[in-house]
Amino acid sequence: MKAPFSPYLNSIAPGLKRLCALLGERYDYVSILSTDSRGFALRASPHVKTVSSETMTTERGTVVRVRRDGLYSEYSLNRFDPAAPEAAALDLTRALDAQLTLLSSMSTKVYETAVMPDEPCTLFAEMETERLPEEEDLSALIARLSALAEDGMRRGDHLVDCTVSALSTHICKLFLTANRDLRQSYVYSEGSVMTVAAEGGKSGMGYRGLSGRCGPELFSGLPARLDEALRDAAELLKAERVVPGEYEIIADPEVAGLIAHEAFGHGVEMDMFVKNRALGASYIGKRVGSDLVTMHEGALAACDVASYAFDDEGTPAGDVIEIDRGILKTGICDALSALRLGVQPTGNGKRENFEHKVYTRMTNTVFEPGTSTLNDMIASVSHGYLLCGCESGMEDPKHWGIQCIVQRGYEILDGRLTGKVIAPVILTGYVPDLLGSISMAGNEASVFGTGGCGKGSKEWVKVSDGGPYLKARAILG
Amino acid sequence: MTAEKLKELLLASGADAWELTCDDTDIWEFYFIRHALDQNRVRNTRHITLRVYRRFEDGKCLGSAGGEIPPTATEEEAAAAIAAYLAAASCVKNPAYTLNTPSGLSRESTAAVDPAESARRFMEVLRSLPETETEDVNSYEIFTGSHRIRFLNSEGIDVSYVRPSSMAEAVLNARRGVKEIELYRKFTGGTCDAEALRRALSLALATGRDKLTAVPTPPLGTCDVLFSGEAAAELYGYFISRVSAAFKVRGYSDCEAGKPLAPSFNGDRVTLRALAALPNSSRNGAFDAEGAPVRDALLIEDGVVRRFIGSRQFSCYLGLSDSFIPGNYAVSGGSCSAEELRSGLCLEAVDFSDFQVDPITGDIAGEIRLAYLRKDGKVTPVSGGSVSGNMRDFIRDMRMSRETEQQDSLLLPALTRLSGVHIAGAARG
Repeated sequence: MKAPFSPYLNSIAPGLKRLCALLGERYDYVSILSTDSRGFALRASPHVKTVSSETMTTERGTVVRVRRDGLYSEYSLNRFDPAAPEAAALDLTRALDAQLTLLSSMSTKVYETAVMPDEPCTLFAEMETERLPEEEDLSALIARLSALAEDGMRRGDHLVDCTVSALSTHICKLFLTANRDLRQSYVYSEGSVMTVAAEGGKSGMGYRGLSGRCGPELFSGLPARLDEALRDAAELLKAERVVPGEYEIIADPEVAGLIAHEAFGHGVEMDMFVKNRALGASYIGKRVGSDLVTMHEGALAACDVASYAFDDEGTPAGDVIEIDRGILKTGICDALSALRLGVQPTGNGKRENFEHKVYTRMTNTVFEPGTSTLNDMIASVSHGYLLCGCESGMEDPKHWGIQCIVQRGYEILDGRLTGKVIAPVILTGYVPDLLGSISMAGNEASVFGTGGCGKGSKEWVKVSDGGPYLKARAILG
Repeated sequence: MTAEKLKELLLASGADAWELTCDDTDIWEFYFIRHALDQNRVRNTRHITLRVYRRFEDGKCLGSAGGEIPPTATEEEAAAAIAAYLAAASCVKNPAYTLNTPSGLSRESTAAVDPAESARRFMEVLRSLPETETEDVNSYEIFTGSHRIRFLNSEGIDVSYVRPSSMAEAVLNARRGVKEIELYRKFTGGTCDAEALRRALSLALATGRDKLTAVPTPPLGTCDVLFSGEAAAELYGYFISRVSAAFKVRGYSDCEAGKPLAPSFNGDRVTLRALAALPNSSRNGAFDAEGAPVRDALLIEDGVVRRFIGSRQFSCYLGLSDSFIPGNYAVSGGSCSAEELRSGLCLEAVDFSDFQVDPITGDIAGEIRLAYLRKDGKVTPVSGGSVSGNMRDFIRDMRMSRETEQQDSLLLPALTRLSGVHIAGAARG
């Protein structure tokens, strides 16, 4: 079925168009993004169960972007009355004028930017889903999650908790300018199982997730994730600490995705080029990885939690090849930064929600697969680790450092897995060294979308990333 | 949709209990590239959240469900949402507990925060930093204003308060020849603490010079590491988690009231308090998110757990009748001065990519962006590599400075020394 577009947004669209026209008399560019995204978040553990209608992306509100005298300004509101757009226009101008009074009193210089192009465009995208979150039987679903959690507690050794989560969100967004009317509706879902084991003062935490641009039908995959998370917790309880040093590594597709995300996902967000905060700006056309490294980024590069039809500035979704056989080709760009840099936007202008500013953000960041099998890769390692599962990562676009906290590593000696597990694993290094050392790539890629992505330490958005198994060299600690 | 109308709908809904929060947000935002204004923004929003409760199985179980009701919702939409929450709550079988009851403090007098004045102070500080030809400001973002919060529940609580909220982040550059580095600093608080911000950013500018000359961190094996600032706050977050009622109920904390955090101590012992207020904290407010009055409380004393604390639900499960969700915490200073802590072989970490402490496992991890290796009387700036280890292994020997500093809602020792931290050396770069 098609995910139906929000009746609420349809009902306020005429009022928003009037607001756009009213503001157009005072400002030389006006755009409006209005959102109405609903969903649910269910969590069940033997200790406590919760039901909420809020996920990371549920929202209902409006943000208006205006430009005058070279300055772009924004006003976020969530009490818009479609019968009184004049009142909203007055509130906006009063609020922004109050700021300009302060700025003027401090003789503030403006980073002047041209008027954004506004070619006519209409789009109405309702994407496919089997089910809708707003129609899901939450009573039945919480009962299923509770049963899974109880089952996990029964089966797991030394388990103190087993939390099973299911989140589903129906995203609806309306983007308007004087010449554009874009509307999109899609559903994405994510589920997870977290297991915590404790013994002798030591704790181990397993985590497995699943995600997709689909409805609550996704959650039929949770029982398999429970089995994996139980195994993880048991292994982590007996895990040893790695001796810090440089090793041959095989990154599983999830860790490969984290490396893609932190290395040349954040590294080529071009709003950082505007501020001279990214080394990547001076490496376009130069080698940054081995021949086996080809990397895509874009809402069309995969079908997962961030696969939309247009971004939060009304730019159509894209699929950019950032790195082609080791050569850095281009970055990704929001519309305002593109205007400043004289390039085309790539459909990567995203907001945490209607209350937040647009930044250049990732969507799906994916390494292309190669030709090797996992067995061949393991057989080629003399001493190293198969790294599996992600906890977190951090970018460093200015200096090309990288930090990936990996859940667990399996020791490989003389081409065989020894059964020894290490955890946690902190993978660090210099990005071109790490990507340059990639010597084998698996023949199949997977994408993961259960995590969130921050810009520095804030501005959280949904992204997915992934790739094939990758063999490389890295510093582990 | 108003809080009063929602209260009417909740009273008519048949809910066994309910909670309602209304948050009016007024925030001004400014974004600068160098010192030129990139963009200005205003957030003028209202967020209304509610939670409804159902008692069942003769009152032994209490189920709840909730979420946000848009202020543009019609009466019919709001009533339908409440009905849906009630249906869902009927399937959420949690052990019963009671909601908070009125404390006698019905309404706090509220004072408006002037975002213009706070923004002016932020901008004045950022414009007046001691920039030079080789150290300067790359960009900064300022967020300042307040949340006006009203909380009501079915037990008769109806309290209001203002929570000032500000954040500034700055990116600073230092360069020598063609080499340029950056440092990121973030400040959070109620409003602008101009002196603290100026001091921190001026120090960061000076620190940038050292990062330019930093050499790769050598593979030290294990080493004592000194933590300060945000990284130290992250360390003490582990102790806050240990005494969280939710962590205790879920089995993540094995602490027991009256028992020590470790079998023995060779260093300083942690004393942790919840505080009702700290100067300019962004977490100040007379009530917690569930309407309970906040106050001072001793949580850990000389390394011995005194009590658990947290939300009403988990506190009830532990039999704690006088609990609340703290906004502010204080960790007492230790036995030696910061300078004494810097003696001997140690690595003083001043900048991480993203230092983290897993509150459940106690694992610590962070890539080093800048640290000072103190060895044989010599101080060498180093960069790259990582620190790792587990808090359980560090508690016995950890040492804290007498001097304290405030990181927004946490007062903590200015310097903390952990022994036996694993150090991975740096790659070239």
